[in-house]
Amino acid sequence: MREIVRWFLLAVLPFTLVGGKLALAADPGSMLKAMADPAGAPFFPVVMQVLQVLTWALHMVFVYTSIGGLFIAIYGFIKGGERWHRLSKATIELSKVSVSLAIVLGVAPLLFYQVIYDPLWYTSANLSAWWYVLFIVFLLIGYYFIWGAYFMKEKPSLSLFMSVVGIVLLLLVGFIIHVVNYQALFPEKWVSWYTSNGTTMNISGWNIYAFNIFRYLAFLVFPSISVSGVFLMLYNWYFRNREDMDRDYLDWAGRVGAKFALYAGIGWLLFHILYILTIPQDWNAKTSIFTWLSVLGLVLCAGVILAAQKDPAKMAIPSLLAGGVAILLIAVFREYLRIASTARFGYSIYNYKMNLEFLSPLLFFGTLLTGIILYAYAWWMAYRAGKTPKGKVYEASEMEHHLGDASVFIVVLWAVVFIGVGLIVIVRNYG
Amino acid sequence: MDVLGFYPMWYVPTIGSGLTIALIASIHVMASHTSVGASILLAYLATKAYKENQPQIYNYIKKYLLGLLVFSYVSGSISGPGIWFSATVVNPRGISALIHNFVWVWAAEWIWFVAEVTLVYILFYTLGRIDQRSWLRLAWTFAIGSWATMYIIVGILSFMLSPGHEKWFETGNILDAFYNKNYFPHLLERTSFMFAIAGTVGIAIASLMRKEINEKTYKDIVKTLSYWGIGGTVFGLMFFAWYVSTLPQRSDIILNNVIPIYLKLPIMVIILLVLANFLWTAIRPTAARFWMAYPIYILIFFAGIYPEEKIRETLRKPYVAGEFIWVNQIVSRDVPAKGIKSEVPIINEKGLLTVNPFVPEGLKKITPENEIMAGKAVAVLQCSGCHNVTGSTGLRPFGQKFAGMTDPNAVYNFLVSYMRENHPPYMPKLTGTDQEIKALSAYIAYMISKGGSVSAKIEVPKSSAEAIRR
Ligand code: HEC
Ligand code: HEM
Repeated sequence: MREIVRWFLLAVLPFTLVGGKLALAADPGSMLKAMADPAGAPFFPVVMQVLQVLTWALHMVFVYTSIGGLFIAIYGFIKGGERWHRLSKATIELSKVSVSLAIVLGVAPLLFYQVIYDPLWYTSANLSAWWYVLFIVFLLIGYYFIWGAYFMKEKPSLSLFMSVVGIVLLLLVGFIIHVVNYQALFPEKWVSWYTSNGTTMNISGWNIYAFNIFRYLAFLVFPSISVSGVFLMLYNWYFRNREDMDRDYLDWAGRVGAKFALYAGIGWLLFHILYILTIPQDWNAKTSIFTWLSVLGLVLCAGVILAAQKDPAKMAIPSLLAGGVAILLIAVFREYLRIASTARFGYSIYNYKMNLEFLSPLLFFGTLLTGIILYAYAWWMAYRAGKTPKGKVYEASEMEHHLGDASVFIVVLWAVVFIGVGLIVIVRNYG
Repeated sequence: MDVLGFYPMWYVPTIGSGLTIALIASIHVMASHTSVGASILLAYLATKAYKENQPQIYNYIKKYLLGLLVFSYVSGSISGPGIWFSATVVNPRGISALIHNFVWVWAAEWIWFVAEVTLVYILFYTLGRIDQRSWLRLAWTFAIGSWATMYIIVGILSFMLSPGHEKWFETGNILDAFYNKNYFPHLLERTSFMFAIAGTVGIAIASLMRKEINEKTYKDIVKTLSYWGIGGTVFGLMFFAWYVSTLPQRSDIILNNVIPIYLKLPIMVIILLVLANFLWTAIRPTAARFWMAYPIYILIFFAGIYPEEKIRETLRKPYVAGEFIWVNQIVSRDVPAKGIKSEVPIINEKGLLTVNPFVPEGLKKITPENEIMAGKAVAVLQCSGCHNVTGSTGLRPFGQKFAGMTDPNAVYNFLVSYMRENHPPYMPKLTGTDQEIKALSAYIAYMISKGGSVSAKIEVPKSSAEAIRR
């Protein structure tokens, strides 16, 4: 790795000198170094990196079902007919819940990203500051339209209208975050962007300097439809055995989902490859193993989904797994791109200054454990309730009651420990 | 070449970029305090429903939960990251300092945040579909988990105002930073007031259901909410007094001398109004009315939370985080424990324009041609966090603060004596080279002579830009 870095430095620095107007500006390498927060990272950067990649993949799954759910709902409303209307209602519901999850799951990668790649994220966001703030505004308005579509779901034309506004706003939100992620990859251009080649300072925050349509289509639009198709297959699988549900309808929905998954999946693969072709030569990324693994993941995923066309319910779980693997490989590839781009300037998160500290990671991992027990219990009960026909009450088993008691206990215990530690520290410092 | 880690500056004329934080944060405080307060109130009511066998209470809970989902959770879960998004573009280095210190604490909060959001859906969908005892357990984990998000974030918020103790700068210990002097009063104050906020809207929701629920249950619900509300308001006031007593000295001065009365007064009025409403409905539950309770709830936002957020933001000045980073992004003191060095000496020596990588080359070296524009750049970089530096309306406008000062030398003398040698506690010390202060003075005198208002555009004069190219 070191070698590559050194090699790139040698190759790139003369270039910026020849670049003329860039010559006197701070070189990107020392700029990135200066921007990394002087407080340092409180823990091993690689741990942050892994968590960032993993949580981003989770974030995206629900981003995809937010947008894809709306897409299928719109499609269904336009098709019309009883079955399609029913499906539209289901996918609006999917979208509504997914947006919540996409938001909460977006927080985690944002945290970890900002610890190890703060120069990239903060610069890029500040270059397009107004858009970055509008991200929140559009998301808020868009989400209310989605709720509106949900409340109006018995009135197809109104619900259709609200779904359309909702999806447009979510796509806009996705566009903004895409821009932020994309601009971040070009440290060598930031200064000339911001100063319009040294003639001014673009302090207004209204500028957008770079985007890549292939990346946008490959990272957001096509996967949304494809992944939501897989969710329809899961829908088929999950409700199939509930006696109060219409099995013909469910099987039909599964087939529709499998088709969406396949066709959009092909688009996904195509634009992913097109994006790879646009990556600048000097990143040396096109031939990297990570790049081609992400393509391989998509190909495999498409294969599983192709095989699923006959019996979508049966293949729902394998398709989900294949999709999950593909998204993970894409997440790794995305991270690899950041490494490849910043390596050109000698920036490496593995050299990030550290102020190692163990108490707060302990807090996190302890909380994670607590959370897992709590999530397991809550999700399990929800799963059980969902399997119970309408009008009936699910009676928890002895085991489930115990798990429930355990989860209340551990949550209370956690609060007691947290407050207790606080009291001790306060008494010691101020008593 | 010396560079410091500044980010591209964002400047919003007249209102100031900071207003975006205040607005989004207010929405967030409203939504989050409603939902955390409600989660505990609802768990308590559900326990009551189960123990006293009052199944109709569940109808009320279901309605409240739906209201929470649609109003509090949608706006709360978006505005929460929203504060962070806006802070990222208003105060990048401030938020970065917080994240680099507290990332794991925030990550722990995130675990509860995920729990909160998934549980509110699960509670809503499983109500009446799983047995009562199981549901009750979920409700209590939801309640305590929701409160966990509060007891975690309050530590970070308090640190933002002040680490509370010199010790932290030496130890860098996360416990010293988190559990600072301000922590408990702050937590208790919020925990109390949240019941008043959730209770107010709870009464509004109940009053919509008066005809659907039998009278006894109805009265029970309204009385319960009123008692919690009264308790919340009274304790909230007590803890507020304690909170004020733990403020750092500069914040005390700001609170007494800088914060205008039109921000302080409405808060007191709305607290009394909320209390009066609870007293009234505690005595006569059947007198609760939607058209009373709901407007009061809305008023809490405008008269209570928005001014409170503005005040809290101002009390922190001139810092944005931990008493070591100023609003203008400059690291103003050493934090030996973290290896952080004050940037003031190097800025005074080399110049702010020089060390900021996002200042065009043509403004780094000050000449008679570019002096005004260089001065404007200094004003934007160094003062615009708290001032409208290009106009005479809006946020503490330069047009007013420097009214009448059209002589650059007079401005210069004022700046040096008032802002560099002996700066007031609410403003950062003026930094930069003498030449830069002269440029700043020239710019200010120029903008005043233009009637106190100029364009926000910064243009590098052609000659300076070309001088660099050559
Ligand atoms: C941290 C925020 C902050 C920054 C940064 C800041 N100021 Fe101020 N300034 C204030 C506050 C608060 C006041 C008090 C008056 C008010 O609220 O209107 C003030 C008042 C003033 C006044 C009027 C005198 C007084 O003390 O009331 C002048 C003149 C002034 N500022 C100039 C500047 C200049 C020049 C800069 C940039 C070098 C600057 N300020 C940066 C917060 C700030
Ligand atoms: C529902 C609306 C959202 C949509 C449509 C959306 C979409 C996206 C997309 C398309 C990307 C990849 C962009 C690219 O690489 O080109 C992305 C990444 C990201 N999103 Fe979201 N997002 C949404 C909400 C959020 C929220 C609310 C947050 C934060 C709280 C967030 C945090 C992030 C982060 C941090 C990344 C980059 C992560 C990384 O590179 O590791 N997103 N999002």
